[in-house]
Amino acid sequence: MKKIFKLFAILIFNLSLAFAMKQVNVGVVLPMTGPISAFGQQTWEGIKLAHQIEPTVKINGETYKINLILMDNRGDKAESANAASRLITQNNVKVILGAVASSNSIAMSTVAEKNKTPMISPSSTNPLVTKGKKYVFRVCFIDPFQGYVAAKFARNNLHAKTAVIIMDIAQDYSVGLAKSFKKAFEKMGGRVIRILPYKSGQTDFKGILTVIKYLHPDVIYVPGYYREVALIARQARQLGIKAKILSGDGAEAPELVKIGGKAVEGLYFTTHFDEKSISTKLGKEFVKKYHETYHKELNSLAALGADAYFVAVDSIKRANSLDKEKIRDAIANTKNFPGVTGNITIDKNGNAVKPAVVKKVENGEFKYVTTINP
Amino acid sequence: MNWYLRIRKLIQKKFPNNKFLHRYFGLIAFIIVGIISLFIGNHVNEFWQRLIILSAIYVIMAVGYNFSNGVAGQFSLDPNAYAAIGAYVAALLTMSPETKENVFILEPVMKPFDKIQLPFLIATLIGGLAAAFSAFLIGIPSFRVRGDYLAIITFGFGEIINVIANNLVSLTNGALGLKGIPEYTTLAWAIGWAIFSVFFLWHLTNSQVGRILKSIREDEIAAEATGINVFRWKLFAFTLSGFFIGIGGALFAHYLTTISPQVFTFFLTFNLLIIILIGGLGSIVGSAIAAVLFTFAFEILRVFEEGIHIGHINIPPIPGLRMVVFAILLIALMIFRPQGLFGDKEVSIK
Repeated sequence: MKKIFKLFAILIFNLSLAFAMKQVNVGVVLPMTGPISAFGQQTWEGIKLAHQIEPTVKINGETYKINLILMDNRGDKAESANAASRLITQNNVKVILGAVASSNSIAMSTVAEKNKTPMISPSSTNPLVTKGKKYVFRVCFIDPFQGYVAAKFARNNLHAKTAVIIMDIAQDYSVGLAKSFKKAFEKMGGRVIRILPYKSGQTDFKGILTVIKYLHPDVIYVPGYYREVALIARQARQLGIKAKILSGDGAEAPELVKIGGKAVEGLYFTTHFDEKSISTKLGKEFVKKYHETYHKELNSLAALGADAYFVAVDSIKRANSLDKEKIRDAIANTKNFPGVTGNITIDKNGNAVKPAVVKKVENGEFKYVTTINP
Repeated sequence: MNWYLRIRKLIQKKFPNNKFLHRYFGLIAFIIVGIISLFIGNHVNEFWQRLIILSAIYVIMAVGYNFSNGVAGQFSLDPNAYAAIGAYVAALLTMSPETKENVFILEPVMKPFDKIQLPFLIATLIGGLAAAFSAFLIGIPSFRVRGDYLAIITFGFGEIINVIANNLVSLTNGALGLKGIPEYTTLAWAIGWAIFSVFFLWHLTNSQVGRILKSIREDEIAAEATGINVFRWKLFAFTLSGFFIGIGGALFAHYLTTISPQVFTFFLTFNLLIIILIGGLGSIVGSAIAAVLFTFAFEILRVFEEGIHIGHINIPPIPGLRMVVFAILLIALMIFRPQGLFGDKEVSIK
């Protein structure tokens, strides 16, 4: 009996400790299972680590513990909206971080907007995520900008006059990039000879590549995910196509080199940041801690997840209140916040204004080439 | 189930000779629950309201699917195609011309759709009719085969519709999908349609038509020998089922406010198949109840993913655990009740 009483006392003591510090709930919606779970898990690693670096926030001189609540959306639209609505109404979160895929973020944003709850997406690049929405923000650049960067790099650095685009018609990300690249490239005086489609999951690209062989473009733009990009590069080299290949941030994964091998040598891609040129104090600390914890190179999704978290915490701090309206205003007024991926400024549309980086595959590693400013 | 048995007993005792009440017990109970949830839904927070709407949409699609699969016994695998057709047609009709101009960035919208804007009810009906028509067209060649072959052929059609949705850019906006669809699906619309579809299909199932379809399900040759035009009746069941799934799709589009071909993959078919198997093939009210259970289960099982903190014991949150729990529940159900919760019988007092 005495033992039970003792245990009970310990339990109550523990509980009282846990409740001693006031809490702020921050919701996170990510695809932790399902077809794009790899992206969700990478982002979650970043957010978790950022939370370890900054676990509390000071409001009016009082310290609040930040309580992260993770919801899985299985990469599904209806689930994303449900998760957001659950976080807002059941858990009373002040800010929502998420989701990864743009289509999921759009489904969530309707709920966030209706409930006047600020939402920050770490890596949804489709322009429609934030368009016309008051409470929705993001810490990454948008597709038209990435397409523009690729076009500028192709024209100015690679001196390309003609280009062929190979796009994945089943991915809105790929279609969006292809469209903006074509527009920017033609505006800069280049010529897009042809747009050729494929569908994610396809493994044989010989058909479209044979067409490209006779078109002799200076550059081939392949905005897709790493698997298909690697296969396209491989089969293109086998057919003897010498044109330079340019891709987007979907190519940035160690698997690109694993699948592509020698064929992806010299492949360029645009992405969010470069680990070695991080200059902010917070960024350096984060990268160091990331290496210690996960023993691998920092990827864009983890870094962007961390940035979404840091921006949210910083905004709560600046708002100096737990009023969602005030937090929303603080996020909208974010100026030159020194995050992991560089200085973040949120423009009037809720999008982050920041430079993009071009990298190149060299000896099986991703080497920094140049930074292109908006 | 205790309260359910108690109510049944009470009715049996109070009205021992009321045949009407005995026969329609399940239907009446469902309609009453529907009306009650309509009132409750207006007073609970948005999260539960969303769940009620979503389960009502699943009810519509599931009873529609069950009508051809369970009642008529024609095992088809393409409800995702009809949901997609209903959703795309209705969404194209309700979106304002300005929104369409903003959304269709790849190619402008096909001719008649660029200027049209119709009220929600009419758009939903046209969406349902379009789905019914496509079911009719698909049914004509498909019913030349039966059994497993029918499943394979219809599965193929489901995939074809998905490929068309990805490639017919001027109508579907390709992989980008439609965005900015007005949020018209309110509690009243969803529950109203759900009650209507359950009521309508329940009546049909328990009428002469239902008996004809069931006879086809049990033995096609015997049914034909008694003078039933098997092909025509199968086509009828298939078309009607397409109509209700299309209505469900239209409501789904106006609930999500954004659709793309990825929403209507085989996974949707798979979900609906699970629902009608849980409820019991051939039981209309059964699949309606299963649809509600299915939708709520996914949210309630989230408890398993949140992690448990008791004193020093910290069980970390494990994402994906609810799927495991859900799968175990399904396996248990299939072992202990392979015919589903209600078998092929309606909920009634006998």
